[in-house]
Amino acid sequence: MYPKEIEKYLLKVQKPGRYVGGEPHSVVKEKKDVEVRFAFCFPDIYEIGMSHLGIKILYGAFNQVPYFWCERVFAPWIDMEQHMTENHIPLYALESGDPVKDFDFIGFTLQYELSYTNILNMLKLSGIPLRSADRPELFHIVVAGGPCACNPEPLADFFDLFFLGDGEEVDPEVMELYRQCKKEGTGKQEFLRRAAQIEGVYVPSLYDVEYNGDGTVRRYTAKEGAPATVRKRVVNNMDTAYFPESFPVPLIDVVHDRVSVEVLRGCIRGCRFCQAGFLYRPFREKSIETIDRQCQALCASSGYDEISLSSLSTSDYSCLLELLDHLHRWTEKEKVSLSLPSLRVDNFSPELMARVNSVRKSGLTFAPEAGSQRMRDVINKNVTQEELMRTVNTAFSEGWTRIKLYFMIGLPTETMEDVEAIVELGNQVVDVFFQNKEKPRGKAVEVSLSAAAFVPKPFTPFQWFGQDTMEVLHEKQQALKTAHRSKRVSVSYHGAQTSFLEAVFARGDRRLCSVLEKATEFGLRFDGWDDCFDFERWMEAFQACGLDPAFYANRVRDFEEVFPWDHLDYGIRKDFLLEECRRAYAAQTTPNCREICSGCGASCYKGGICVDKRKDLV
Amino acid sequence: MINVRIWFSKTGAVKYISHLNLTRCMARAIKLSGIPVWYTQGFNPRIYMTFAMPLSLGVSGERECMDIRLTEEIDLEQAAQNLSKFLPEDIAVLQITRPQMEFDEIAYGEYELRFETAEPQGLAEEITSMLDSDTVQVMKHGKKGDKPFDIKPYFSEFVQQVEQGALVLTGRLPCSNSGSVNPGLLLDALKSLRGFEPYAEIRRKRLLTKDFSDMR
Repeated sequence: MYPKEIEKYLLKVQKPGRYVGGEPHSVVKEKKDVEVRFAFCFPDIYEIGMSHLGIKILYGAFNQVPYFWCERVFAPWIDMEQHMTENHIPLYALESGDPVKDFDFIGFTLQYELSYTNILNMLKLSGIPLRSADRPELFHIVVAGGPCACNPEPLADFFDLFFLGDGEEVDPEVMELYRQCKKEGTGKQEFLRRAAQIEGVYVPSLYDVEYNGDGTVRRYTAKEGAPATVRKRVVNNMDTAYFPESFPVPLIDVVHDRVSVEVLRGCIRGCRFCQAGFLYRPFREKSIETIDRQCQALCASSGYDEISLSSLSTSDYSCLLELLDHLHRWTEKEKVSLSLPSLRVDNFSPELMARVNSVRKSGLTFAPEAGSQRMRDVINKNVTQEELMRTVNTAFSEGWTRIKLYFMIGLPTETMEDVEAIVELGNQVVDVFFQNKEKPRGKAVEVSLSAAAFVPKPFTPFQWFGQDTMEVLHEKQQALKTAHRSKRVSVSYHGAQTSFLEAVFARGDRRLCSVLEKATEFGLRFDGWDDCFDFERWMEAFQACGLDPAFYANRVRDFEEVFPWDHLDYGIRKDFLLEECRRAYAAQTTPNCREICSGCGASCYKGGICVDKRKDLV
Repeated sequence: MINVRIWFSKTGAVKYISHLNLTRCMARAIKLSGIPVWYTQGFNPRIYMTFAMPLSLGVSGERECMDIRLTEEIDLEQAAQNLSKFLPEDIAVLQITRPQMEFDEIAYGEYELRFETAEPQGLAEEITSMLDSDTVQVMKHGKKGDKPFDIKPYFSEFVQQVEQGALVLTGRLPCSNSGSVNPGLLLDALKSLRGFEPYAEIRRKRLLTKDFSDMR
């Protein structure tokens, strides 16, 4: 549903289908039966938000409670935004068409630092005061979860509470508490005090921050009974965890237009640059039967003919071939194809490829992440040169000719030789092609190398590292461009400016709230989109607030420094990260969770692989 | 193989869904309905579907049609009810029939343009006076770029009806594989020639043959 007054403008914007709702399986309830309304806001456009699995899980989990009604809200693209602003049409939810300002909860998912301005802009378009302190009533409770909630401090002044960890259980618990407080006539402050007692709930206003003279954090002090550290919530049993049997099926093209079933949560690998690899521990798998049942249910409700078996690293599923064979019992008959979103260099095999039919012969993508073996050891990407060469050789024998390789530049301890090794690796892949006797005839090999700038993130062994300055990153990009490369190799890289901004907000503190507010005032949003990103204007916003972005992005932290996220507990011990950091600088690798337990701390949740590997837990 | 014709309406939110996306949505629903449908025999088998006359984005259709092929005989009334269940609310299956005509017998569409305005009488006069000119030139978007096009002969026969808070125009426009006139051109003319930008809800009521009888 959409408000009637929007109809006049729909034919003046790109892709009006983004703004009308009406999809099969969108949930519409009778307002009289509903006690708590939740506007699930995705701070990006429809096509991106509708591709996101988390929103589908939580949408289903909330809506299965008869008296909760969760609706979807996406950021309008700039053309629509202009019509809405000029004509005073507030942001609305797609199921009822009602304005967001009618909702009890306004919830955001924090997937990416560069979407923060979209969050503030969406609140602005809804006509809801940005700052929590300006919303004194028990209404318009603005909440968020998702990976970036692990350091939500740059957003702390705007949000009433954050959900840390898995949301399936804790989110509805907070909605239930709200319902009780409404009934009792309790005020917002008391609701927040009680919410802070629930595991996985962080209420930023219940923590005072003091800073040192040099701008670093001195301490966080909890007040009004809030816990000194907030522990993330974990759903241990993935077989009994809520998973939807249907979700709104988009009527326009979205990025991932298929059934997506999560096969496991967490990752065994411990790549030192990867925040998700630490945040989502412990590694927990679903059983083959559960995955099979969920795939069947979603195909039967959606009508899709493609299933993506998704996770941080699906090829690490312990019985992957068995799972695929199990699914093939019905998928072939039903003309459903299977795809794996991510392939690892070290377990790519013809046996696996024979079972996933959606991987087009045109291109294969791998992520060695770094060019030299030393560099890969530093980041603990346990992939060897030999494995990569063996894998591309297999791929060529199987008929692939286009290989895409992802890398990062600006990694800790990186030298120009390490950067040039990226191009050298590309050249070697080309050599493997020419030496392969079974390669496809009459086709040329194409190797594309793509280099992103590394952004150090909280809860990783690189959280102390100062990001390379933009000047250094530009030099490294230049080195990639000028290094001697085969004609069959192409090189591309991503912007240093957006990575810089991402680094600022990833490890930022509460003082950045004013910068975000300023940026929103300046009209900045969609910073992840080239057509909207305005770096100069961002620098003006920092200047206006008297803050130096380099302090957050480029400064090397002391091991003793108190971080703005130290009072948030994701089960990973800071000591462990410190030890991993030291090993990184010594180019020492750490085995994965399946080989041996390295004692990161996640075993405190007594779940998943920790139980299998640490008999002392049982 | 048995050819059957699905008659459906496409209104509300779904009128903002492009033709390509409509085909995907139909394919999913047909698959879910369990109708024994014939797939194309290529490398990527797809449900065989052909649509009579795609609707422009933003235009509702009250009685549109598309053909599929069945691999076995089924109860068509039951199938129509069943298919409706798997479609979005704003697409309704009206009927499934045996085709009696070919798609290329379609010559016209019957359209309704509904302008919601506080001054329907004023707008009616404005449109009449515009159509009274010798020619009413607008830019028509075509395969070879935009070119001037006189809409007067097509819209002068439209019937005007003044209602409370609305002006409703109804009439026939060419609508065939050899060429169509988009009802939205009248809005373009009002904008470019009269400086008006009224909003009209446009509906295609039905598809007609060259002697103005219903497509069947």
